Amino acid sequence: MKDNLNDIIVEVNNISYSVRDKNIIENMNFTLERGGFYSVIGTNGSGKTTLLRCISNSLQPTKGNIKINNKLINKYTPKVLARHISVVSQNTEFLFDFSSFQVVMMGRMAYQKLLQTDSEQDLIVVKQCMEKTNTWHLKDRSIKQLSGGELQRVMIARALAQQTPIMLLDEPISSLDIHHQFDIMELLKKINKENNTTIFIILHNLTLALKYSNKTLALKNGKLKYFGNTEEILTKENIQELFKIKAKIIDNKHIIIQNNENF
Amino acid sequence: MKKDIFWYFILTIVVFILMLLGLFLGSVDIVSFDENSLYIIKNLRLPRVIMCVLSGAGLAVCGAAYQAIFRNPLSDPYTLGISSGASLGAAIAIVLGFDVFFFSIGSFAFLFALLTVWIIIRIASVGNRLHITTLLLAGISINFLIAALISIIMVINQDSMDKIIFWTMGSMSGSKFSDIAIVLPFVVVGIIIIRIYARDLNALLTGTDSARSLGVNVERTKKLLLFFSTLMIGVIVSYCGVIGFVGLIVPHIIRLLVGADNRRIIPYSIFGGMIFMLLADIISRTMIAPSELPIGSITAIVGAPFFIYLLYNAKKKLNP
Repeated sequence: MKDNLNDIIVEVNNISYSVRDKNIIENMNFTLERGGFYSVIGTNGSGKTTLLRCISNSLQPTKGNIKINNKLINKYTPKVLARHISVVSQNTEFLFDFSSFQVVMMGRMAYQKLLQTDSEQDLIVVKQCMEKTNTWHLKDRSIKQLSGGELQRVMIARALAQQTPIMLLDEPISSLDIHHQFDIMELLKKINKENNTTIFIILHNLTLALKYSNKTLALKNGKLKYFGNTEEILTKENIQELFKIKAKIIDNKHIIIQNNENF
Repeated sequence: MKKDIFWYFILTIVVFILMLLGLFLGSVDIVSFDENSLYIIKNLRLPRVIMCVLSGAGLAVCGAAYQAIFRNPLSDPYTLGISSGASLGAAIAIVLGFDVFFFSIGSFAFLFALLTVWIIIRIASVGNRLHITTLLLAGISINFLIAALISIIMVINQDSMDKIIFWTMGSMSGSKFSDIAIVLPFVVVGIIIIRIYARDLNALLTGTDSARSLGVNVERTKKLLLFFSTLMIGVIVSYCGVIGFVGLIVPHIIRLLVGADNRRIIPYSIFGGMIFMLLADIISRTMIAPSELPIGSITAIVGAPFFIYLLYNAKKKLNP
């Protein structure tokens, strides 16, 4: 692992986010390196989504600050920030029948001026991104008619079209079957390798976290409990501490949940 | 794109033909171009036809914008209570008998419309953000409250009842060139601003967080669009009364025809709104000529069944 200062792309400095007096996240401190694959794990309500929304500037931390490329996140205009960070959420609800192509083209907004029409360059990028995510054949289909797996691939294509060095994903595979979960994770691995995109993904499936991510952030009660190399974080003891379940790890590859009768 | 320009051309011709029809049809048949006929056409029908075109375009475009801003297909230009505010203002002015420039029915309607929108936005603001569900519910509650107030005003002042009812149902009959001079700039500026932000409206339709991650300055864009569209609709309502359903169904019809991209919906809605209003106005004037039906009732008679059909279809999609 490189530990060069130039490679730090996201710097989270002692942030807390509270609603009224309740801390949703508390004193979090960590940095993300360019090209890393980070998984975020923790129980429901541990503050994973709040953390992600702080990094995407959808929420402003009540304490502390976040730097992207060594510049405070709130100093970016929304448009310029959208060239640095893209976001894929668990489910995006579409009210009207946009085509898949139109949805991916939305990813180019950050590069377009008001009233400017989609350029040749935009079309090329959108086509590349849709080919990479294997969604080009869906381009004329209504976004509302896609299956869960197809929709998430289109949403990842939209994030890719933003050509950002950082991609944040909030449980993008939670509503998919196992086959499509692997499908999406393989796609993210490819994006991580080929584009050197920093992936920051909230996952519930610990086996997938172990298989795909190099580093893991484990959250508990709004605090960053563990942070480090995935194999070192996803141990039997830590999983028990985090989720109150007994687990067995085989060959550093598979996590078997045994039982929870003692709890 | 080329296809769009072709259709804009065709639609422009359709609008012109309907405007001509609007000039020649009505309670008085135009058979020859004598002095009387020319007077009627120039001073009564021409401003009226122009007002139809302006209000139709403004209402339809505003409807499309609101449906995106509020992420709600049931939104229309009156979602923020502008129509009930205007009606209350008009009712008060009618009862008090105000009819000079600053104290006219129109300016009272305008002031009360803005006041109502302001109250509803105040209720729904959480810090810097608008809470949409609260906003929609506050809008509905205020609508009921004001409807009750207007009923009370009408019961107490029964002689003014006819005038109030007619005002709230909308009419183009009193339109003058001086009114158009006021309405025109508001409508033109409103539509231009909404068209400039059409791409942002598309992004807003995917949700606030999603739009922000695409680079939209969400709160600023919403405020800007709400400000200009509220002014535009406020002016239209105070000069034409409450004309329902245009702003709700025209964007829906256009969306069925050209897809969900607001960059196309907005220009097509301009034409759609114009055509809808011109037709409604012609029907309102000819149906029971020489008397006249309020245009708001015509748009509702055509609009309501169509909207019910849309709802029925949406239900079928949910529950096949």
